Amino acid sequence: MPDTFSFGIDPLTCHAWNHDHSQLALSPNNHEVHVYKWSDGKWKLSDVLAEHVQRVTGIDWAPKSNRIVTCGVDRNAYVWTLQPDGKWKPALVILRINRAATCVKWSPLETKFAVGSGARLISVCYFEQENDWWVSKHIKKPIRSTVTCIDWHPNNILLACGSSDFKARVFSAYIKEVDEKPNATSWGSKMPFGNLMAEFSNGSGGWVHGISFSASGEKVAWVGHDSSISVVNAADGSKLTTLKTDSLPFVTLTWIKENNIVVAGYDCSPAVFSYDGENVVLIARLDDSETKQQQGSKFSAMKHFRSLDNRATVESNDTTLETVHQNTVTQVTIYAGTKANCTKCSTSGIDGQLVIWDLRSLENSGSNSA
Amino acid sequence: MSTTLQPYLKAVRQTLTAAICVENFSSQVVERHNKPEVEVRTSKELLLTPVTISRNDKEKVLIEGSINSLRISIAIKQADEIEKILCHKFMRFMMMRAENFIILRRKPVEGYDISFLVTNFHTEQMFKHKLVDFIIHFMEEIDKEISEMKLAVNSRARISAEEFLKRF
Repeated sequence: MPDTFSFGIDPLTCHAWNHDHSQLALSPNNHEVHVYKWSDGKWKLSDVLAEHVQRVTGIDWAPKSNRIVTCGVDRNAYVWTLQPDGKWKPALVILRINRAATCVKWSPLETKFAVGSGARLISVCYFEQENDWWVSKHIKKPIRSTVTCIDWHPNNILLACGSSDFKARVFSAYIKEVDEKPNATSWGSKMPFGNLMAEFSNGSGGWVHGISFSASGEKVAWVGHDSSISVVNAADGSKLTTLKTDSLPFVTLTWIKENNIVVAGYDCSPAVFSYDGENVVLIARLDDSETKQQQGSKFSAMKHFRSLDNRATVESNDTTLETVHQNTVTQVTIYAGTKANCTKCSTSGIDGQLVIWDLRSLENSGSNSA
Repeated sequence: MSTTLQPYLKAVRQTLTAAICVENFSSQVVERHNKPEVEVRTSKELLLTPVTISRNDKEKVLIEGSINSLRISIAIKQADEIEKILCHKFMRFMMMRAENFIILRRKPVEGYDISFLVTNFHTEQMFKHKLVDFIIHFMEEIDKEISEMKLAVNSRARISAEEFLKRF
């Protein structure tokens, strides 16, 4: 059974866990970031980070260095460090963008982070020791519209980004001040900063909402507004496989095993898909509404007459949805485990709920997972 | 004629369920702005293809979608002069009070009688499936209401004419 936590009625725009998921940072659709600590069986608000002046659009928590990076619509990003007295201290990052920031991610080695923005560019930021501040370099060409999602390759150099110009791209974000010279990967061998390694079109058009590199970095998957899931296998000559589903579009995804991805979106319930080199297939829907339907048939007669009595209507359809989330899921993140082997994942939604799903039940129910 | 009503409403409902998937999107044209892209229409890549669902040439629904907003325009069946006047007055009454309706647009789109504008802020506060239910219910009821009003006008006209002519 999934663990559900409610954080009020405001939508949860984004959330991030610390290294041992004892602390949670989330934004309730405003300019603040709330940090919660787990104590005595519930989440207690431990700090409110209020430096942004407009809505916060992305939060990422670096597990090893314990720093939080946040970005917002006010074109700013802040890196928060934990002080000895338990308070978080912000450091402004000079992004040099003139539109809203949309997403932010720490690189795997936590030496730099990337911010996508509505200024049609990605800002890759690293810390400059001499001046004691964060500086940025821009990746511009050939992005033609807002960057909606980004994800890092495990080698700390390559960056995948999805944009509302219907394309998914892989760039090199090599910064000679902080990175070692990278070895050649399946995506290419020449990796100067800002080099476009690969570009893929999302079929007949459909904004790319979420993108993710697999644990090895050989595969990249994204979800589009045309309700499709696409996977590219660089080891197999950049073969592109797309599955068009008949559900409402997905907006977020993450790899949970080398061949499995969990996606979630406007359907309000997460689902697990598998890629076997040829096809993308649905394995399971994490929200089992079967038990709820059995209970429904017993009480529907009573519900029918109650609605007849209260509102003089014969409609017995409920306002509440059968899924755990009552509105769109905004983000799915790994809670326990890594991209190579994830045991639990968490989803935050517009209904103000954060739900932790146990993925081990998938293996127990006897389904095929590669 | 009424056999086309259910498939018509079903088609509208399914298109609406898909088009109402909108998300918060800051303007990429003006900094710090957050405006419904379906109204601003400056970035073509953020707009979806408009869909018109027609029951016949007089009754149709135009659904224009975008990344953060959705515009639904309805053309209501008006068979004769009285229905035209009643429909016009009824829609005008509602559109003057558009603020209380939340999702109603103050002016209908060219060629239609009434328009709704649903943005991501509405879908964050209200359930998407209930918004779709409301619009379908509205489309079902509007024809009934106008027919009722027309009958009322006709019966009042007949009664008052009778009373007047009794003198002669």
